[in-house]
Amino acid sequence: MSSEARPLPAWVVAVQALSRAFGVFSAGLILLSVGVICQMVFVRAVLGQSSIWQTEFVTFALVAATFLGAPYILLTRGHVAVDVLPLMLATPARRWLHMAGHLVMLAFCLAFLYAAVPWWVEAWTSGQTTPSIWRARMWIATLALPAGLALLCLQCVAQLWLVHRQIELPFGLSPDDRL
Amino acid sequence: MTPLQVGLLIFVVTVAVLATGLPIAFGMGAVALAFMLVFDGWNSVHFVPETVFAGLSDFTLVSLPMFIIMGAAVASSRAGSDLYEALARWLHKVPGSLVISNIGACALFSALTGSSPATCAAIGKMGIPEMRKRGYDADLATGAIAAGGTLGILIPPSITMILYGIASETSIGRLFIAGIIPGLMLTGLFMAWAMFLSWKRGTRLIDEDRVYTLAEKLELLPKLLPFMAVIAGVVYALYGGIATPSEAAGVGAMLCLLMVVVIYRVWRPMDLWAILRDGLRESGMLMMIIGTSILFGYMMSSLQVTQSVAQAIGEMQVNRWLVMAAINLLLLVAGMFLPPAAIILMTTPILMPVINAAGFDPIWFGVVLTINMELGLITPPVGLNLFVINGITPDVRLPTILKGALPFMGCMVVAILILCVFPGLATWLLTQLMG
Repeated sequence: MSSEARPLPAWVVAVQALSRAFGVFSAGLILLSVGVICQMVFVRAVLGQSSIWQTEFVTFALVAATFLGAPYILLTRGHVAVDVLPLMLATPARRWLHMAGHLVMLAFCLAFLYAAVPWWVEAWTSGQTTPSIWRARMWIATLALPAGLALLCLQCVAQLWLVHRQIELPFGLSPDDRL
Repeated sequence: MTPLQVGLLIFVVTVAVLATGLPIAFGMGAVALAFMLVFDGWNSVHFVPETVFAGLSDFTLVSLPMFIIMGAAVASSRAGSDLYEALARWLHKVPGSLVISNIGACALFSALTGSSPATCAAIGKMGIPEMRKRGYDADLATGAIAAGGTLGILIPPSITMILYGIASETSIGRLFIAGIIPGLMLTGLFMAWAMFLSWKRGTRLIDEDRVYTLAEKLELLPKLLPFMAVIAGVVYALYGGIATPSEAAGVGAMLCLLMVVVIYRVWRPMDLWAILRDGLRESGMLMMIIGTSILFGYMMSSLQVTQSVAQAIGEMQVNRWLVMAAINLLLLVAGMFLPPAAIILMTTPILMPVINAAGFDPIWFGVVLTINMELGLITPPVGLNLFVINGITPDVRLPTILKGALPFMGCMVVAILILCVFPGLATWLLTQLMG
């Protein structure tokens, strides 16, 4: 399959670029969280003061990194899967299996997104905050769910399309990859 | 339908969905949501974001990406090779010295990274070619690294134990301490087998007569001791109650990042991006599995499956060790197909009531379960470490690696049996240090 040589349509390139941008942002959130934890330990252990915002910030930042980074992880095949059956099949059958599995995934992500949007809108319109002294605004903390899931759905559609059009190999497995 | 029949249906559907090869996280989420919709109606979809977000917004979970970044930083450097080289120089005169050095390096490196594949890759890249070049058979060289790499999920800090701690609501710090003696015991069993086989085969090192000077033996220690100090510091902070696992892991991650920059000159932006990228990929994948497993657990509980399974097993009136044997068999089979994270997060909510009802210590069971998960990493068809080793040494066939790993699997089964006979091996240190 001359998959590498075929040009990708603009919408797929755009979705992949956005997934990479979200991935870089998510990695930045993890690095920032490492710094914030060190600052929190310093404030508590060295300065003897209590921490106010750090615990919530780090917790929400890592939830955000999980959802915003999910499309990039899907793009780079980082989500772990059971590939016993795909490895037992020939490429055409693998393609059908890939389609079936990824349609199940897309259905779940769409349902999750469908529920996440009104949930986030409610957090925004009602001005919900956390009960801590910091009173973190929940619409910021929860924004990563609809944003990440929307891009995840697009990334999933892009991968389905690429495999369906035989531009990419299903599961990234070459015909020689066998159990 | 009775809850037990529903449970059986959930099992069948989950196996079928995961067999399609879709990411496990989304497969579990899809199954959970499908059963919620069928049994509780369409409105149950609105529980999904709230349940997943609330489940993931737990400060304990922060330790996971922090330990992963710590491991990714160390794995990006030459620390693994240096560790192996340093041990090889010290143990040069011992029979089977190179294999023993490799297993020792795996044990120490796994303490630094908490990851089995990373340990296999880091130590194996240099260790396997060196062992084969200097006279060891391919099966012993590859099997030892495949098995040694699994120590990564037993010796603290361990990502697998963090996941078990979260799923079973047991203390992560206590689990880490409980893993120390069994980890050392398993390392000792691996080394003993390697020594025995080298002696039996009469393996002689090509450069057996070489003598390392004290200066050569000490040469690499300044590079390695700071990393060991960080691990010791993290474990000390945990058992001393000085810091929570998340705080200790965060500081450990920062120190390891700084040390790979200063000691190993890993400072180019692309090098640092590689650490963060690997950290994001692993932690994002695990956190997503945790998120959807929370949904899975919620669905199982709301359909009364968890409670019914525990009750049914409790009413069987069978010997508790038979129950333990059955659980281990189930975990072993699951480990042949699924990664440890998915097994732990899916089965722990069901197994914990059974473990508690049978009077087993959940901390002790965490150690037994972790060794069982180690077995899964080197059993076909999806033994992750076997494939990592195969990737490093493409000229060694998978059956040869498996042949080499088989006796080490036996060591793991022996370790589980020893722990069943002497549970104090997992709990004694814990009692001494934390009461």
